[in-house]
Amino acid sequence: MDYKTVKKEAPGRGEVEILAETYEAGEPVGEDAGRWRQKLESRDEKLRYLESGERYWYSDDWFGSEKRKNPA
Amino acid sequence: MAEEEKISKSIDKASLELIEKAAKDGVNTAFDRADTMKPCPIGAVGSCCKNCGMGPCRVPLPKGKEETPEDKLKRRGICGATAETIAARNFIRMVAGGAAAHSDHGRGVAELFLAVANGKAPGYEIKDEQKLLQLALDWGIEIGDRSNNEIAIDIGEKALAEFGKQEGELITLRKAPLKRQELWRQQGISPRGIDREIVEIMHRTHIGVDQDFKSLLKQGVRAAIGDGWGGSMIATELQDILFGTPAPVLGKANLGVLEEDEVNIIIHGHEPLLSEMIVAAAQEPEMIELAKSKGAKGINLAGMCCTANEILMRHGVAIAGNFLQQELAIVTGAVDAMVVDVQCIMQSIQTVAECYHTKIITTSPKAKITGAIHIEFDEHDALKSAREIVTTAIENFPNRKGNIYVPDEQTVQIAGFSHETINYLLGGMFRASYRPLNDNIINGRIRGVAGVVGCNNARVKHNEGHVVMVKELIKNDVIVLTTGCNAIACAEAGLMVPEAAAKYAGKGLAEVCETVGIPPVLHLGSCVDNSRILIAATAMVKDGGLGDDISDLPVAGAAPEWMSEKAISIGQYFVASGVYTVFGVTWPTEGSKEVTDYLFKDMEDMVGGMWAFEPDPIKAAHLMIEHIDKKRKALGIDKARERVLYDMEMRREMEAA
Ligand code: SF4
Ligand code: SF4
Repeated sequence: MDYKTVKKEAPGRGEVEILAETYEAGEPVGEDAGRWRQKLESRDEKLRYLESGERYWYSDDWFGSEKRKNPA
Repeated sequence: MAEEEKISKSIDKASLELIEKAAKDGVNTAFDRADTMKPCPIGAVGSCCKNCGMGPCRVPLPKGKEETPEDKLKRRGICGATAETIAARNFIRMVAGGAAAHSDHGRGVAELFLAVANGKAPGYEIKDEQKLLQLALDWGIEIGDRSNNEIAIDIGEKALAEFGKQEGELITLRKAPLKRQELWRQQGISPRGIDREIVEIMHRTHIGVDQDFKSLLKQGVRAAIGDGWGGSMIATELQDILFGTPAPVLGKANLGVLEEDEVNIIIHGHEPLLSEMIVAAAQEPEMIELAKSKGAKGINLAGMCCTANEILMRHGVAIAGNFLQQELAIVTGAVDAMVVDVQCIMQSIQTVAECYHTKIITTSPKAKITGAIHIEFDEHDALKSAREIVTTAIENFPNRKGNIYVPDEQTVQIAGFSHETINYLLGGMFRASYRPLNDNIINGRIRGVAGVVGCNNARVKHNEGHVVMVKELIKNDVIVLTTGCNAIACAEAGLMVPEAAAKYAGKGLAEVCETVGIPPVLHLGSCVDNSRILIAATAMVKDGGLGDDISDLPVAGAAPEWMSEKAISIGQYFVASGVYTVFGVTWPTEGSKEVTDYLFKDMEDMVGGMWAFEPDPIKAAHLMIEHIDKKRKALGIDKARERVLYDMEMRREMEAA
């Protein structure tokens, strides 16, 4: 992928060249490009993913609005 | 047709070209009928009742003068029902119609699901084990060493039981934020069974039953929750298990996806049950050979309305158009069959089809059309039904009449943003999370989130409200989650590719989209998939930093071109979930100030969300943005938007001071 750059003013350093957008234009290549769920194969892996990725519903290992780190 | 008159009908070039072709071909479409048939001004504002044989009773507001209390007393039906009762009854009957449509779809999916689990629906299988396990955990179903089918039998039976449950509350409500569940309980609006709440609306709105508009509206809220958090959610979850949870997929949109030299089959309607099989049948080598033997180069499938969204989200099948493009697709003269199931199918497609060679094929025992061919979907042998349909289309190819025009217009889109996929894209495989979204809302790069959904409406310019509103929102750094015909309009306008962020979004939102590699408008699926928006909002709440409930979030909802009863049910469950929701085009309770005020103001006290009506899409977008800003202020994150970037000079000055 060709990285694009843009010129920006940096405080004290004048104009500098920095990395611009880092995505490739819109089209994922190959039919399976977006199919992330298939990476999880065994039932165990799938359950473990639920416990971490969807932890708000399937695990106690998280903090958030309904389980505060420092209860009010 | 005069140029001005024509361009007032759609913002989409392909549609305009085909509206013109229809006129030349002498074909009457919804666009013409909307010109000749004006809406009844009394019915439009909910001031007409025909719930018994003494009516219809019409109770319009007096024209051009303030209503006196004496006049108001007289504004009643024969049975004495006031204008308030009549408006509220009409409104919640719309909710009932919409909730019934979504939920009956859910029931159909649950029935097929159970048949699959029992090995009685060959051709189908459980495609997403993870979602199956997820539902088992949600519903307290034992996993252990049981097979997927054993687990699925329990899930299917439990899902079906939710429809006829008589007491308690729906099992699916447990997904909602804890505070929201509690609020629903306190207010007495947690739905018991999905069907029960709908039936109760029909009972209460019968002559001489519930005659207190607040009490009526409350039942509407209860039934709508049973739709969004019940019937629709069950449909989405079980479809994901059977057909796969959507993940990013590339697709195309607009009438230009039709191919002049291929057999074109349009799958139109809502349920993905049969269409999944048609997708499979159309790829079979024998079918492709048959098509070639008839002179076609191949078989081209395209979707329409929500069936389109379903098969796009899971297979990348192209979308031919949204609600108001269904007749126009046939006007191309290149559609060999239009296969329909339920909901949003205009009866006139049959009449339009008779002017060309298109075969209209109905497939649901619930939805037949006079004059159309009926090939019933048999879940016990779905592939057979699908093959019969594809064969009918192929055999019709040589009957084309030569009067063919397929517009060039087609756009590219990335779809497939289920809650699970958004979570994964934001956080990655090892710690999927909404944290980056919440953080970017807190730091002000993203101002808020809008759910923009709903139909087309022939009373307004096709797709204009959708596209203008969504562009205005993203320009103001509001990320848009979309479903239904809005999603199709956004795809046709090129808003669903990552590059659209740089072109149309505000600086903050564009930065986030570029980093994550997502479009500024995320396609979450079909109408029943609005339940995905509810889950996404819940995940935002649970992740923390943005309040304790959906009503605390800087979010808003809209349906700028709504027309269906389903849209009213969706709007009502968004509101019941704590979301400020703006509808365009027309408002069905304007005949009663009390009822309208209650929906637009007082409902916020009950559920933390409320309705609004604004036909101008830019103004409506700004109402949403104002609401988002109000919520940001309440959360104390309004200042974050006015970030000052200190350079070293400024820092030194501060330190010296
Ligand atoms: S229910 Fe009452 S208001 Fe409605 S049609 Fe009958 S008499 Fe008229
Ligand atoms: S968004 Fe409205 S018009 Fe479109 S398919 Fe859904 S209900 Fe029908």
